Amino acid sequence: MTRFAAWGPLLAALVFSAGSSDAQETQPQSAAPPEARQQPQAPAGYSAAALYNLANAYARAGKPGLAVLNYERAKLLDPQDPDIDANLQRVRDASGLRPVPATGLERLERIANPTTVAWMGVFGLIVAGLCMLAREVTPAHRGKLLAAALMGFCLLGVTLGSALAVWPTLHEAVVVGHAVPVRVSPTLIEEPIFTLPEAEIVSVSGEHDGFMLIKTGAGRTGWAPQANLGLIVPPRP
Amino acid sequence: MAAGAALLAAVSATPANLAMAAASAAAASVDATIEPSQIALGESAQLTIMTSGNGALALPLPVVPGLEFRVVGQSRRIEIINGATISSTSTIIRVTPEEAGVFTIPGPTPKSPPLVLRVTQGNGGAPSISPYSPSSPRLKSLIPGGSEANGIRLTPDGSAFVRFEVPKREIYVGESVPAVIQVGMRDGFASSINSLPKLNNADFTLNNLSLQPERMAKSIDGKPFTLYTWHSLLAAIKPGTYALTFGAPLTVRIRTQPRGDSMLDDLLGDPFMQNFFGATVSKNITVTSPETAIKVLPLPAEGRPAEFSGAVGSFKISTDLSSATNTAGDPLTLRMHVSGSGNFDRVESNMLAGDGQWKTYQPKASFSQADSTGYRGEKTFEQPLVALQPGVQTIPSLAFSFFDPGTRRYETARSAPLRVTVSPSPADSAASPPPVLANAAAPPGDAMHGSLRPDHAEAAARTDSLIPWYLRPQYLGVASTFALLFGGGWVALHRRERNARDLRRQRERLRREAGEACLKRMASASAARDTALFFSSARSALQQYLSAAWQIEPEHVTSAELDERLGPDADDIRQLFVLADEANYSGDAPQAADFDRWTSIVRRSMLTGAPP
Repeated sequence: MTRFAAWGPLLAALVFSAGSSDAQETQPQSAAPPEARQQPQAPAGYSAAALYNLANAYARAGKPGLAVLNYERAKLLDPQDPDIDANLQRVRDASGLRPVPATGLERLERIANPTTVAWMGVFGLIVAGLCMLAREVTPAHRGKLLAAALMGFCLLGVTLGSALAVWPTLHEAVVVGHAVPVRVSPTLIEEPIFTLPEAEIVSVSGEHDGFMLIKTGAGRTGWAPQANLGLIVPPRP
Repeated sequence: MAAGAALLAAVSATPANLAMAAASAAAASVDATIEPSQIALGESAQLTIMTSGNGALALPLPVVPGLEFRVVGQSRRIEIINGATISSTSTIIRVTPEEAGVFTIPGPTPKSPPLVLRVTQGNGGAPSISPYSPSSPRLKSLIPGGSEANGIRLTPDGSAFVRFEVPKREIYVGESVPAVIQVGMRDGFASSINSLPKLNNADFTLNNLSLQPERMAKSIDGKPFTLYTWHSLLAAIKPGTYALTFGAPLTVRIRTQPRGDSMLDDLLGDPFMQNFFGATVSKNITVTSPETAIKVLPLPAEGRPAEFSGAVGSFKISTDLSSATNTAGDPLTLRMHVSGSGNFDRVESNMLAGDGQWKTYQPKASFSQADSTGYRGEKTFEQPLVALQPGVQTIPSLAFSFFDPGTRRYETARSAPLRVTVSPSPADSAASPPPVLANAAAPPGDAMHGSLRPDHAEAAARTDSLIPWYLRPQYLGVASTFALLFGGGWVALHRRERNARDLRRQRERLRREAGEACLKRMASASAARDTALFFSSARSALQQYLSAAWQIEPEHVTSAELDERLGPDADDIRQLFVLADEANYSGDAPQAADFDRWTSIVRRSMLTGAPP
């Protein structure tokens, strides 16, 4: 027992960390995103419902790029909401963009709320770790302990799979301008090599001097003006 | 006599040549001159018809009442200038009036202007000398060479000249002035220009020299010349007074016989005839223009603007924008037009500098020249701009400094400020609802997206980040710490167990080796009939084996321990321990057959691994 008592502060730190997040959720003004700070009338912070409603508003206003951007952001907070997926697909269809099939990892991501998935990971890690230690300390009940450890590893695997599924989204952007030119270098002097349709999602691998190095789903790369791209996960101020 | 017969044959053949020549007239040009344009009755004038180009023309002799036309010679010349071949034909026609008056001679082609010949009475008219007269003073002044008038200095044989003209004789360092270089080649005497004219002064530069010269036929002192004209820009490198000359390498024909023996030249006045009757050779010479004095002044240091880039001339500027409205983040193009005359190669501008309002890029320049040398024109600078902030932005006026040779001072031209309305970029407005929703009853996109699923009720709880918890650094840090602790603990425990297992194995190995040594001692004691040693070794071997099996020390394997652990099924071992004690303390020796039996019991127990 005394051996495990040392992990108490770590658990307390994790709980405190999550608790501080909850505190921020109740006091969102302290860390508002830059866009929200530029719009004083808009509530600070993010919520899936608010982003979804905002995306609907943009879709109805005929701005598919901004609609897709906010749908994608809402999906990060609530990947289980079928309305987000349905409306996102409808806007993409209306924009003439090809459908994006969900991968296995993305389906795994949708099995639970992200916060729940995070706690599942912590719980699975603790269970698996304790059971593996117990197997070493007490030779009795090794089979039962192994089964419990495997269960913990499964929970941890769900969290890792969700993280792998969400990770590319952190480096993706939505084209919010119409027919955005893409150039071979981050200057305006170069002639565009192709244009990006509005609402297309591209991956971003670099940034320089007001331009972003993007890669389309078809594998084409180039530099696009940063003002015409909206990062799905905006950088923290 | 033979020469005269040949001349007659040539003269009689030329009309036939004229009639037989036929080709595409569109490719050839025709020029006709008459010299002099006024003669006295009894004299003759010379009509020269020059055709040039790839084709020849069929030119009939003009018919004018009161004038007699007779072809006296024709020559064909092929020139090679900078690799380009130009052929021309020169026909000399003698015009002899039969009466006084003013005669209009029609041009050789319908589009050619007519020529006018005035014929006066013999003694009452203006003095005029036929070019065919041996006593013609102009002919004498030209052919013997060395004459210089109007900036023209003929070569000693009168075959060519080079002339150089600039509009001003006082210029500033760096200033470009248009220059005209002319090379005149007398038809039939000079055959080719071997390279472009060269400036014979290293303190000047000659820019934008035209590769192909303008070409025209001109009569000078009654002699047919072909003028080649180049245009260029002359600029001085350093101040001072200089005498400039131009040289042109030519190939000319030179007579090989004394002039005194060639009076037929003056008699006929046509190179074809001269070359026909007199032997000539080709020779490369360089014809030099007369010296032209030019004074070069330094640019004054006083009043020189900091942004002066060396532009000298007369310029004016204007600016414009590609669009008066824009979106923040989208590029605009700012253009500055510098027009006028001067050294446009030194016209430079850094355009607008970047600040918090504008992100600027390096401008690029293009030049549109209004003349062949680029002395006049317009240079346009285009600079991409990106507005960083929305609102009504002002692009400040741009300035361009130059030195004006006319006013002899530095001038700074400024453009008017430009205003542009910049709207917020779409990315910046991503978190704000579209304004159309504020008061629009029927949003424009509603028809397209009418089947969207309805809005959700918004909860009060919000989060400060879109990143899921399991990807945030705090979570990853705590989870990693847990993983390290669990993993480290598991590894430590696992290693401790493995070390204990290794220690047990090592002990077993040592005891096995000790047992083997005991068996060897048993064998040697049996051979020596040493009862005490035999049973002592046998007991030691079993102690090693049993201690390994029971995980106790060998000395703890005693008779009492045997009774407790083995029970009644191990009488042989228990008896062996008793016999060992007896042999050790009483010296009672068993029979030799007993040694073998006890040895087999011990060996079987140790080698087979079966419990004793």
